[in-house]
Amino acid sequence: MTKNPNDLTTETQSLNPNIPESVRAVAADGTQLRYALMELSATYKDAIALGRGDPDLATPEHILSAVEEAIIQQKTAPTAVAGMPEIREAVAEKFRRENGLPVNAENVMVTTGGQEALYLLMQTLLDPGDEVLVPDPRYTSYDEAIESAGGKMVMIPTDHADAFNLRPEAVEAAITPKTKALLIVTPSNPTGGIVTEERLRGIAEVAIKHNLIVISDEIYEKFVYDNWRHFSIGSLPGMEDRTITLNGFSKTYAMTGFRIGFVAAPKNFIDAMSKVKAITTGPVATISQWAGVAALTGSQAPIEEFHRIYAERRQFMMDGLTAMGLTYSEPRGAFFLWTDCSSIGVHSTELSYLLLKEAQVLIFPGTGFGENWGGYLRISILQTTDLLREALNRMRPVVEKYRAMR
Amino acid sequence: MTTPQTLTRPLAARIANLPDVMERTDSPPIPEGVIDAAIQALKDGKTHYTDRPGILGLRKWVTDMLQKQFNVTLKPDAVTITCGATEARFVIIKRLVKTEGVILCAGDSRVIEGAASLVGATITHEVGDTAGIKLLYATPKDSLETLTPLLEQAKVNGWWVVWDVSQKPPPQSSPASEGGGDTFHPAQDETIASKVISVGSFSDVMPGWRVGWMAGSEMADKLRAYKQSMTICSTSISQWAGMGLTE
Repeated sequence: MTKNPNDLTTETQSLNPNIPESVRAVAADGTQLRYALMELSATYKDAIALGRGDPDLATPEHILSAVEEAIIQQKTAPTAVAGMPEIREAVAEKFRRENGLPVNAENVMVTTGGQEALYLLMQTLLDPGDEVLVPDPRYTSYDEAIESAGGKMVMIPTDHADAFNLRPEAVEAAITPKTKALLIVTPSNPTGGIVTEERLRGIAEVAIKHNLIVISDEIYEKFVYDNWRHFSIGSLPGMEDRTITLNGFSKTYAMTGFRIGFVAAPKNFIDAMSKVKAITTGPVATISQWAGVAALTGSQAPIEEFHRIYAERRQFMMDGLTAMGLTYSEPRGAFFLWTDCSSIGVHSTELSYLLLKEAQVLIFPGTGFGENWGGYLRISILQTTDLLREALNRMRPVVEKYRAMR
Repeated sequence: MTTPQTLTRPLAARIANLPDVMERTDSPPIPEGVIDAAIQALKDGKTHYTDRPGILGLRKWVTDMLQKQFNVTLKPDAVTITCGATEARFVIIKRLVKTEGVILCAGDSRVIEGAASLVGATITHEVGDTAGIKLLYATPKDSLETLTPLLEQAKVNGWWVVWDVSQKPPPQSSPASEGGGDTFHPAQDETIASKVISVGSFSDVMPGWRVGWMAGSEMADKLRAYKQSMTICSTSISQWAGMGLTE
């Protein structure tokens, strides 16, 4: 166990030797670390999962009905790779209405989830050696997409005191002649921070000045809390032709299993991305596209209810963590509390293991989102309030025990 | 949108010469079992991520089929359900061939040309100089006379072998003389089995549902991890619908 509370970025080799090899072996790879912990969690009876960002709520009924109708009517033939006209138009209309993006159907395509969108756009955009600016901490699945295309990630620091908002001056300081793109994730996974409109305006100026392409991942846009609001950088003057906006249905409509995301970009880019998609995975499953059409054109009342539920859980979890003596970055959006666990004095990879072993609660370590975050945990709110209460009750004695051992 | 300013920072060079891919639009009638299974999955709320390798029942069906039809024994852990055979082929080529690698193709190479181009690999139909060859791509449409020496070369040189059963021979072919047919499988040779990846799909019967699979080899875990990095898992309802087909 790491005893020095100031040494929470300890090299993984010094982790507690009791941590199973399946976890230790991948501790330096955020994505594989998260999957290893999930697999370990499956071996514990009654483990409470506060790890993965898979909404626990049911997909809205009208979406299921639309899919059932499509199946019965056998409207399941393969579509064009970019998506069938109905969904491309529905997505374009959503982007115009809600995000202020000046796009038509030819500027959008659907993908096999938001993760594939990122993979495809990096393949389409990057040549070997190109640099992509990425806020730190990050959802490490971006790494594979960037590295697979031969790109190089360059981290942009964000910090707790600033609620992990992105600073234009930090972006500008990281630009080199090899910088091709900036990735913005708002609301953020893992921090729950948002990039505010004021900051986005500053970042847009930097992007235009340095001729950067901006990739804006807005997949959690519907879940922003209190008086904060989501803003799309692609709606700003001069940004429409240099912004690739990425979104999806998984988080908003609790339909992760349908594997459908969507992208807006200049037509030439969409055409190129579609060629890549034809080669890599082919079109999105047709039933998923019908689900997407129903989601965008049907009642949005379920989403308002989802928001109410998540806001309630978020407050419940904030209160519970505060009572435990833990602090967290203000969760302005998304499903997560980015929790400072440095007061416990245990490296977060180890602490995640101990919470799983001794409390049967699965929480991802900060190191699942970047090697510098050994003093943080990402705690998801995607369980019922009763289960969140039970999780907090189980966590408390473990936290107190190890804090006392400092 | 106006003329893209992004053109001042051009798209990746790998995009320039990608071949066009023929898009399918056919829609064979969906079997009742598929419809029933898909609707039941909707009613059961199976609309969230599945296990990352794919639902266990479908993976077991793949191993049972490989055992029954080809006498090839694999565990379900060695199977990953993919978004059609397209994703399986791309993942394998991306992960095992890589840039500047060479794919030796025993016959028709059309379904791998796009993936090879995107990855920066080349395709050859001649053994010639074996340097650079990483993988032998073969299908049941290829004749055993052609395949046999190529598989021997694969064994000697440690190449990966893809056996793509989604590319079926025409019904009139005689397996013994014309092609690999219905029962031959490279993994029947135990000395090369750990290098053989089988690829298949459900697209003949349900093409718009995007269900395929890849199975076997000592790289099965790494291939699965790469698939997961692209699409996490395959469409849940489609996987359950596929179960309906198998039943």
